[in-house]
Amino acid sequence: MCAVIGLGPMAVSAQYPNESVWDQGKLVGTGGVTQVEGAGGSGLTTWALITGYGTERGIGINAHHTFVALDDFTLNSTGVAVGLYDRLELSATRQWFGTGEAGGRLGLGEDFTFGQDIWGAKLRLFGDAIYTQDSWLPQVALGLQYKDASKQTVLDALGAARSNDMDFYLSATKAILKHSLFISATARLTRANQFGLLGFGSRGPEGNGRSLQIESSLAYMIRRNLILGADYRSKPDNLAFAKEGDAAAIYLAYFPNKHVSVTVAAVDLGDIAQQGRQRGFYVSLQMGF
Amino acid sequence: MFHFKWDFKIKSLAFWAVLSASLPLSATDTLFDQMGGMDAMKRIAARTIELSATDPRIKDEFRHVKLSRVKEKLALQFCELTGGPCKYDGDPMKPLHKPMKLTTADFNALVEAAQRAMREEGIPFRLQNKLVAILAPLHKEIVTVK
Repeated sequence: MCAVIGLGPMAVSAQYPNESVWDQGKLVGTGGVTQVEGAGGSGLTTWALITGYGTERGIGINAHHTFVALDDFTLNSTGVAVGLYDRLELSATRQWFGTGEAGGRLGLGEDFTFGQDIWGAKLRLFGDAIYTQDSWLPQVALGLQYKDASKQTVLDALGAARSNDMDFYLSATKAILKHSLFISATARLTRANQFGLLGFGSRGPEGNGRSLQIESSLAYMIRRNLILGADYRSKPDNLAFAKEGDAAAIYLAYFPNKHVSVTVAAVDLGDIAQQGRQRGFYVSLQMGF
Repeated sequence: MFHFKWDFKIKSLAFWAVLSASLPLSATDTLFDQMGGMDAMKRIAARTIELSATDPRIKDEFRHVKLSRVKEKLALQFCELTGGPCKYDGDPMKPLHKPMKLTTADFNALVEAAQRAMREEGIPFRLQNKLVAILAPLHKEIVTVK
């Protein structure tokens, strides 16, 4: 069973003389892009794919910046991620959530900025998304994201129970090549308010426990280097002071080569901090080797 | 004008409805037929091997083989796998590739060559993926170095 859950294969045989560990050996697009919290995935959702273009004999590394403009807020996300031997993914991301004029309305001061650091790890457990096209078994990965939000005193005032916490998730992803599709689903245990930017849990009657949230994603490969996809992600609604809604995105990811990808999306992040439903656009640039 | 546009839309819709209703007829065609039959398979196989034999990542694997034979056998294999009237009579995949000690990156280099060959042949991407979907499971027979 240990072999099945795949902790063993991290031991990698030696490279060939002319073989680089930066092998860029995956097919274009099959490393996914970087999702909003810095893990390999699509726009909003984490996928079971290990980020980058390293195969089971290689390492892939990439950096990303994502900018989201909403009706009343902006979100910037910058990070790096490394995929080790198509088995383990490690990521570090910093997010800035600008409140603009809404900050004034909320009594925080105009342009008040929330932020958080996210440290992620994802372990591929079993299955293969790409090669086992003769089987329905998806690629499955287990992940965690440690989130450390800034502005603790403000988060306290908003009613959050904590300013740092861990999310746990299980993802299953499969390419259905004969239909040019990717399908992915993730179950996440979290108590993050607005991804963690507004802290974690609630000191109010809504409780402090993690809840099970679902992320799902469907993507169609239009061309070799162009993918059209849609994400839906449920979020907890912990804080008493404001309703929190689910998030959705429709995106187009362009992969001109294995070193660069650009994702543009229309997003709807639901209600945020009493400012009503937040819709807008999303642009993400990823570069790697 | 507004009405005209809507009328136009309804007519387009009807057109697409009729067209898609007729699709199941052609859907009984094999992938082999949809991709253009044996002539197309031969060209795609030949081009795949030409590209691979000059690709710095995998060209060494082709140094001591007769390229014309490999092209011919690959065309036969493409034909059979896509439902065409052929029987692959070359060496079985596993023993053939084992001495080459191939990696996933090598396998994908060949897939990329096949994709480019199909692109040059004008095969629509969704059909290319249908062939790649058939080839992908060969990974477990071809790749021995992980």
